[in-house]
Amino acid sequence: MASPRNVAQLRLLSLVTLVNCKYWMALLTISGEPASRWEEVAHGAAQMLGFDLVTESRLRQWLNEEFGETAIPEQAWRAAAASLLARLATSHHLVIGLDGAEHLTRSMPLVLRVRITASNAMRLGNVMLDERMEKQEAAAQLAVLDAEAKRKRKQRFGRASAADFDLTINTAYIDPPHAVEVIGAAARRLSEQGLLSAAAASEIQFDMRLRLARHGIAPAGVAHVKRNVFGHPSEEMFSHLLDFYRIQWDYEPRSFPLQWDKDGNVTEAFTPDFYLPDLDLYVELTTMKQSLVTKKNRKVKLLRAIYPHINIQVFYQKDYQDLVFKYGWKAS
Amino acid sequence: MTDSIERVLFTEEQVAARIAEVGTEISEKYRGRDVKLIGVLKGSIFFLTALARAITIPVKIDFLAISSFGGASKSASRGMVRIAKDLDEPIEDEDVLLVEDIVDTGLTTRYLLQTLAGRGPRSLGICTLLDRTVRRIVQVPVDFRCFEIPDRFVVGCGLDHKQLYRNLPFIAVLKPGTEESLATSASRKSIP
Repeated sequence: MASPRNVAQLRLLSLVTLVNCKYWMALLTISGEPASRWEEVAHGAAQMLGFDLVTESRLRQWLNEEFGETAIPEQAWRAAAASLLARLATSHHLVIGLDGAEHLTRSMPLVLRVRITASNAMRLGNVMLDERMEKQEAAAQLAVLDAEAKRKRKQRFGRASAADFDLTINTAYIDPPHAVEVIGAAARRLSEQGLLSAAAASEIQFDMRLRLARHGIAPAGVAHVKRNVFGHPSEEMFSHLLDFYRIQWDYEPRSFPLQWDKDGNVTEAFTPDFYLPDLDLYVELTTMKQSLVTKKNRKVKLLRAIYPHINIQVFYQKDYQDLVFKYGWKAS
Repeated sequence: MTDSIERVLFTEEQVAARIAEVGTEISEKYRGRDVKLIGVLKGSIFFLTALARAITIPVKIDFLAISSFGGASKSASRGMVRIAKDLDEPIEDEDVLLVEDIVDTGLTTRYLLQTLAGRGPRSLGICTLLDRTVRRIVQVPVDFRCFEIPDRFVVGCGLDHKQLYRNLPFIAVLKPGTEESLATSASRKSIP
């Protein structure tokens, strides 16, 4: 039987092996209880460290790019997500802000796993504030959120035992902006250590794709982390506005064909500026001259006719300026 | 003292009439309950007193005081605040109304709401004398507001400049130049 001393030696040996193999990576997972404000902390940490933030909607988009339209069963979700993230981590520093993110990175070494907690009273208060509810109603809503999180975790990770965390922060005592600073101090070294080595990623991918094969799933494409290059400064400003209110967004995630030639080739398409997954809403900003607005209006009208199930909202120049001025920015 | 006043934004009569209206709205909303008014020292005391008199249902009052920390550091400029004087009584299962003299960027108000929400009140609302929405950074749900004001520095009815002008019975705009010394002011409005 291994003595505690031997165990300690083994741990040290494995750490030295990891260092020699350059298994270092810059991965940070942030998760927590519903209404503990962990999403706000994840967003702040990604901004502060300059890492790419992986959210539920962003991951869903990448999984679609990687595995096509094949519906991934919840039992295979973990392997699909871990395989994809391991590959992306060879070229990008990531903050994985997902419920259960700590389970995704179990097979990956030297990841900083952060858990955000808050007292029940604090979480209840957050629901009251966010949903504009009274205590009784908020308590019922919090119970729904807790049950939903538990159900989702069980579906995705089965009977996974409680994961270890490297850092647990209670937002009842350390509010989200300060939590970001604490995480920043703890994580800064990660980015200095470099990215996940290709060899390590391949090893993880092999293991995960073997598991996916059991579900008959094979990747059809390759997803990429797309740095958002905004077409207009107003779009970037709008993205900041959405960030402020913790509204998840994707920039130009999808193009809608509007016209086809006789051979079925797309001759006209429309790509709305933003998609807000939580609201299932596309947003198009128009901050240009009237002739271009008219052209854009025609496209939106066509899109609504061809895709009646798609929700799209157009923000006209005046709406947009009102919004921007109201929140203290200079409109471009 | 009134030499520095550029113009009166709301007269004493207008302020009194509006507070009476808001008092009636609050009495209607909380009918059949007691409401606890929590004032934020020092700016809200004049407004809270007038408001409490205009409310016709049972009212309890308590006060909080806040202060910035970090001096002129980056944190302070980001609106970081801490409670300098806490409430005297718990607020668990009470209907709480946070009474502010002014809601500006929303940073301070959000911090206070977050703090109070974690103490288990039955409901939590905001009532403000002045709402300067044009400077809002963080969205806060204002339930009752007396007046919305433009982006000008105002005094009176509890709002000060270097601790002066609080006792003016009207709300006024200071002459340009007077407010330039704001940076050195120890007033609460130096905390966003």
